[in-house]
Amino acid sequence: MKKTVFFLTVICVVFFSLLPFLWFLDTSLKTEMEITSIPPVLVPDFALDFYRSSIEHYNLLHYLWNSIIVAGLSTFITLSLSIFAGYALARLRVKYKGLIMGGLLTVSMFPQISIAGPVWRILQSAGWLNTYQGLVLPYVTLTLPLGVWIVASFFRELPKELEDSAKIDGCGHVQTLFRIMLPLAAPGIFTAAILVFIYAWNEFFFALLIMTRQGYQTLPVGIALFQGEYSLPWGEISAASTVATIPLVFMVFLFQKRIVRGLSAGAIKG
Amino acid sequence: MVRRSFPSPFIILTLLACFIPVFFISGCEKKPEETVTTVRFVTWKPNQPEVWDEIVALFENENPDVKIERETGPHSSTAFHDLLTQKLKNRSRDVDVFFMDVIWPSEFAAAGWAMPLGELFPVSERSAFLDGAILANTYDGKIYGVPLFVDSGVLYYRTDLLKKYGFSPPETWERMVDQAASIVAGEKKEGTGIYGFSGQFKQYEGLVCNMMEYILSNNGRMIDPVTGKSDLMEKASIGAVRFVRDRIIGNVAPRGVLTYQEPESLDVFIQGKAVFHRNWPYAWEVSNNPGRSAVAGKVGISRLPHFPGGESHSTLGGWQLGISSYSENKEAAWKFVKFLSSERVQKIIAVKSGKAPTRKILYGDREVIQANPHFAGMRDVFATAYPRPRSPLYPAISNILQRYFSKAISDPGSDLEKEAEAASEEINRIVALGR
Amino acid sequence: MKLNLQTRERIFAASLIVPCFLFVSVFAFYPILYSFYLSLHRIILTLPALGQKFVWFQNYRQLFQDRIALHSLTNTLIFVFSSTFFELIFGLVIAMVINRHFRGWGVVRAAVLVPWAIPTVVSSQMWRFIFNDKYGLLNYIAFGSDVASYKAWLADPLYAFLAVIAADVWKTSSFAGLLILAGLQTIPDELYESARIDGANAWQQFWRITLPLLRPALLIALLFRTMDAFRVFDLVFVMTQGGPADSTNVLQFYGYKKIFAEGLMGYGSTISVLVFLITFVIAILYIRMIGSGLIQEKT
Repeated sequence: MKKTVFFLTVICVVFFSLLPFLWFLDTSLKTEMEITSIPPVLVPDFALDFYRSSIEHYNLLHYLWNSIIVAGLSTFITLSLSIFAGYALARLRVKYKGLIMGGLLTVSMFPQISIAGPVWRILQSAGWLNTYQGLVLPYVTLTLPLGVWIVASFFRELPKELEDSAKIDGCGHVQTLFRIMLPLAAPGIFTAAILVFIYAWNEFFFALLIMTRQGYQTLPVGIALFQGEYSLPWGEISAASTVATIPLVFMVFLFQKRIVRGLSAGAIKG
Repeated sequence: MVRRSFPSPFIILTLLACFIPVFFISGCEKKPEETVTTVRFVTWKPNQPEVWDEIVALFENENPDVKIERETGPHSSTAFHDLLTQKLKNRSRDVDVFFMDVIWPSEFAAAGWAMPLGELFPVSERSAFLDGAILANTYDGKIYGVPLFVDSGVLYYRTDLLKKYGFSPPETWERMVDQAASIVAGEKKEGTGIYGFSGQFKQYEGLVCNMMEYILSNNGRMIDPVTGKSDLMEKASIGAVRFVRDRIIGNVAPRGVLTYQEPESLDVFIQGKAVFHRNWPYAWEVSNNPGRSAVAGKVGISRLPHFPGGESHSTLGGWQLGISSYSENKEAAWKFVKFLSSERVQKIIAVKSGKAPTRKILYGDREVIQANPHFAGMRDVFATAYPRPRSPLYPAISNILQRYFSKAISDPGSDLEKEAEAASEEINRIVALGR
Repeated sequence: MKLNLQTRERIFAASLIVPCFLFVSVFAFYPILYSFYLSLHRIILTLPALGQKFVWFQNYRQLFQDRIALHSLTNTLIFVFSSTFFELIFGLVIAMVINRHFRGWGVVRAAVLVPWAIPTVVSSQMWRFIFNDKYGLLNYIAFGSDVASYKAWLADPLYAFLAVIAADVWKTSSFAGLLILAGLQTIPDELYESARIDGANAWQQFWRITLPLLRPALLIALLFRTMDAFRVFDLVFVMTQGGPADSTNVLQFYGYKKIFAEGLMGYGSTISVLVFLITFVIAILYIRMIGSGLIQEKT
């Protein structure tokens, strides 16, 4: 009896988690006629019309490319900085460590609205609105706490003796970091990279404000603004959404263990 | 020897290395070429791009020293507004000529973004254009844009159904509601489900357009054009809102219209599920297109109804051409604007892409009427189309109006006087800010 | 001058942290201060002729009398409480499910992570489509082919609000679940063993062992989700744009409209400062809670 209840719960959980996504995927494979049929049709024609139309009329590939660049660059820069700062905070003697970590953490909790306006003004005076660096820089700021936090927690778990033996071998600080600590913490860094990438890929608020030129917009902005003056193209919206989501779904399936580990790291000690 | 490890240069180098590639990657846009004079035209994505290609080519042929570089912005008016205003706030040099929605000229004029056209567009020339459109482009006594196409609310109806039940197009809202109710009941008896009316009542700009038509046709007003203060508390204004709340929403129109913008409301009509429909003129072509509409050929168009003692008024929509105050090619820009708004080119646009022109004379032109038979009856509608309140603070005012209307009509038990009073207070406060 | 080991280490550590610090100062701390500075002025972007008048705390006074702001604060509070409540419950269920290892466990865990991974705007569009009054899946499930009964969920102020909550709960329950899972995993099995020996059934075990020991994890999940829920924006922007009748107008959306749509930068900044203060207080609580755990030096 207990087992049946359990398995029923499992099935419910999986079903509800995936249903909306599967429904959208289903919708994207329909034809124009099927989409506007009332009541809705459950089994699609498996047509690729909407994908084609999204690419031809709605710049889907441009959005995809921009998302890749912005998320990729943000991840690279954030991770580089996180490695440095994470190592320092985890392994070196730093004054006010608590304050720094706490300060970083509060940054991730700032409401977007509170920093969006001034950030916009800063970028405007630098002439960096509608440029990649204009979006990457705020993204790095927003994801640094996450990155530092995760990398630091992975560094912390490495045995203390490593640095001591490195020192005995005559390594300076830099060499210790790059030759010894980094390779060992690689899994943690990879985890952080995944989480940062997903965050940057999904971000909407800043992307909406900073990128107003279609040529530079990322997928979330494109998808949110898909509706035109006189058209609400559900077919194209669902096709674009699927394209925006499939890479993430793959990532989740491949790297779920790391993701779970990374997300719960630091939530509770241990 | 003491070994010092100074990682700082190392870190700085790494950081620099990160940034360099960024500057070399450019977005997915074509870079403009450097030719004689390049006029940069910011526009939205047209429904018939071939027509625009033709027009631009025509201009470049006749003006070999000027090249037009088009930048296409997003479809939606709000998103286009954000793109454009961002450039203008930036005093960007890459915009010379741009489109303005009918509600923007005051905002752009007050902010100093649009150049006053002054003697380039003298009063004698202006009289050739529709009065409402010219009014919308005027701020503080000066003119800031040239209207290119005009839009106004019209009533669509099912000719077959009206004929079947022996009705002629309703002149008053009351009549429309009665006709709709009869038809719906009659069709229900025959087993066909249909709604009486479909319009745009979601909490967005279009709601203001729809509601203004009811209010004005009841001799009410939203804003006093002289003082700029709110007239929402007038009996006539409240009466019109009450009518919409009690007789339209959830009555002849399904409650779903509270979530509809133009596309959804039009969908209901072209699927044959509504007797009457309020929309802009663009819907004519769509409703009569057999590839998209189930009611092609059975569609009629007429002026919007009014209340007893009032007159039919439709909300003015449409697009105007403006020149950026920061443009470095103002002369060439004006050449282009003059060209686009000329009788010849407006005729091409009207005939080939069905957009209603702003020059009065074209409504008597045989070819224009032939391509757009519905324009014949619409000349008066366009001539009397009324602009929304012209103020640099219109976005704020509009938000207050949207909020008020949405609250008033979506809640059957709403206290209209109280809501109108609260909204009036806020509007007056905003207006006072600008004085 | 010889630098001793300790000082060298300090310099090294500092140089590692400084780049981070630079970013955060320029793009986070400075903007917050600047927001506060802006909130003390009257700034109307479309009327630049009026300049930037310093008005002390007039904007704040106006904010407290602003009916709409109060309404959006109420909306936000109700949203935060309801969605966090449901997310904790569902998160608990999810955590308990994932905690057990069984065949196909990996698939289940991945499936549960999908809502979290999807961009919020995408999930908002999905749910908007599900709640659609003509083509919506919900209507189909509820009413089948009885098209006349189809409801316009997003047209009704109450249902629209519930719809937004539902979409948020769907999206973030799994994240809450993960936070709770971490806590579940710290509960030693022996406790359950001895409880079983003492004759306690599953429900009693849950009530007497699991819940109390999960308190810290639940609290952390609660605080984290509360902070996030206060910042809700994407959902409202895509699903309802604040309507109908302002029923889904939340603080961040209202602030966004004031600053970016209406150009009232001074007043909009006041709203943003308010949101910041609220989340800041919660953030301090959160950090205090986990502070002792992680920031300790491991020597």
